[in-house]
Amino acid sequence: MTTARPAAPDTPALVPLHCLRHAEPGPPRLAALSTGTPVWVVTRHADVRQVLADPRMNRASLFAPDAPAITLVPNLLDDPQALLNLDGEEHQRLRRTVQRAFTPRAIARWRPWVASVVEGLLDGLEEAGPPADVVGAFSRPLPVAVISRLMGLDGLHYERLGRWSDHALSATAYTAEEIRQAMQEFGQFGGQVVAERRKEPGDDLVSSLVEAADRTEGVTEAQLVSLVCGLVVAGHETTMTSLGNALVHLLSEGTDGWARIAESEANAAAAAEQLLRAVPLGDQETTPGLLRRAVEDVEIGGVLIPAGSVVAADARTANHDPAVYPDGIPLFEPLDTPSLTFGAGPHHCLGAWLARMELELALHGLARRFPALRLVDPVEAIEWRRGLLTRSPLRLAVAW
Amino acid sequence: MNGSSAGGPSPDGLEIRVDRVRCVGTGLCAAAAPGDLVLGDDGKARPRHAVATASEELTEAAEMCPTEALTVHLSATGELVAPLD
Repeated sequence: MTTARPAAPDTPALVPLHCLRHAEPGPPRLAALSTGTPVWVVTRHADVRQVLADPRMNRASLFAPDAPAITLVPNLLDDPQALLNLDGEEHQRLRRTVQRAFTPRAIARWRPWVASVVEGLLDGLEEAGPPADVVGAFSRPLPVAVISRLMGLDGLHYERLGRWSDHALSATAYTAEEIRQAMQEFGQFGGQVVAERRKEPGDDLVSSLVEAADRTEGVTEAQLVSLVCGLVVAGHETTMTSLGNALVHLLSEGTDGWARIAESEANAAAAAEQLLRAVPLGDQETTPGLLRRAVEDVEIGGVLIPAGSVVAADARTANHDPAVYPDGIPLFEPLDTPSLTFGAGPHHCLGAWLARMELELALHGLARRFPALRLVDPVEAIEWRRGLLTRSPLRLAVAW
Repeated sequence: MNGSSAGGPSPDGLEIRVDRVRCVGTGLCAAAAPGDLVLGDDGKARPRHAVATASEELTEAAEMCPTEALTVHLSATGELVAPLD
């Protein structure tokens, strides 16, 4: 098993992520990061949107020489050369090497193929018979298969990928030295893939981004390698987490949602959008939100945030802002206002449309094939992957 | 669709439409074509001019939009000119 460390035997059970309580949104308030650095936490939908879209707050300045410490144990997200941590022209230059591959139309071309991967995994589940682990047999292999194919990494073993991902998004599971070593290994792998595709390009995403980057002045090799590693991790970890936690919600809340998701892909798409909004990816224990730093004085929600301040955009609280969304998870109601799950502004999630499509096809396929799918064990017995920025079931026994 | 519109008299004039529901304010369009697009005070993109002229930058702006909130049309006919497959 390549997942993060299991919990100690006396660790109290965690509630499913859809059961977490959310703070009441309010004006920006001052709190502290784990490093002791003061941070303005922003929680209202409109304020979070502003923090993420306003160029007066950015990521790059979090890594400037004068920046206060934002993390005790750096992981992949703290690489200053990562797409996430570039801003302005540098960001635009790197993002345009991959952006076209991730527009809604570009992603829609993969739809029949993704649907066929879903069907193949469902066949495997059906043949194995109940009880089965829907994480090991479905929600984990699906995103891995999709991102591997997109990036032409078909030979990549899941064990290696899983190890790198867990370290890349580690919160407390590993030491700084363990993370540094794993990221070095991962970076070497990324560097090799880039070198191979430069020499022998194929029709995969890595080949096209290397080609685009080599035509663009100013994109560094470090940025390119970091982007490839980022795509691998982001492409599988977050989708697996969303899908696993969506299944926990749908199969434990006993609603008629499952039957309606089976009815049509449109229903599944609506449910996926609501689940993405309402079920967070993790516990948000290490940071109070998506971090930015003010490069000049800026007013947010009536509060003056001085230049140089660290700001946390708490998208999960904003996604439950009663001024914008009704209470609960109305699975088949369209969202009038886009959720902040994929962020906003220049760093809006590159893979948003791919994630949506995978979630939609996965839920629809599963519900259609297994209309009577149910959890074998009570939710209190779920073992979680712990110590990472994300939290999802390690295993989920189902029967039908 | 809720673009800033007004078909221009020129047969080659282009109309930039921004779907304000889809737009999440990435600003990638304004960075690609600063002469044609700008992020408004509400953090969403809007065209600078009622009538635009064709350019590589404008095509790129439409192709870069992660949510396909941005489309470019011939003012005269409404025909979509970017993004194209």
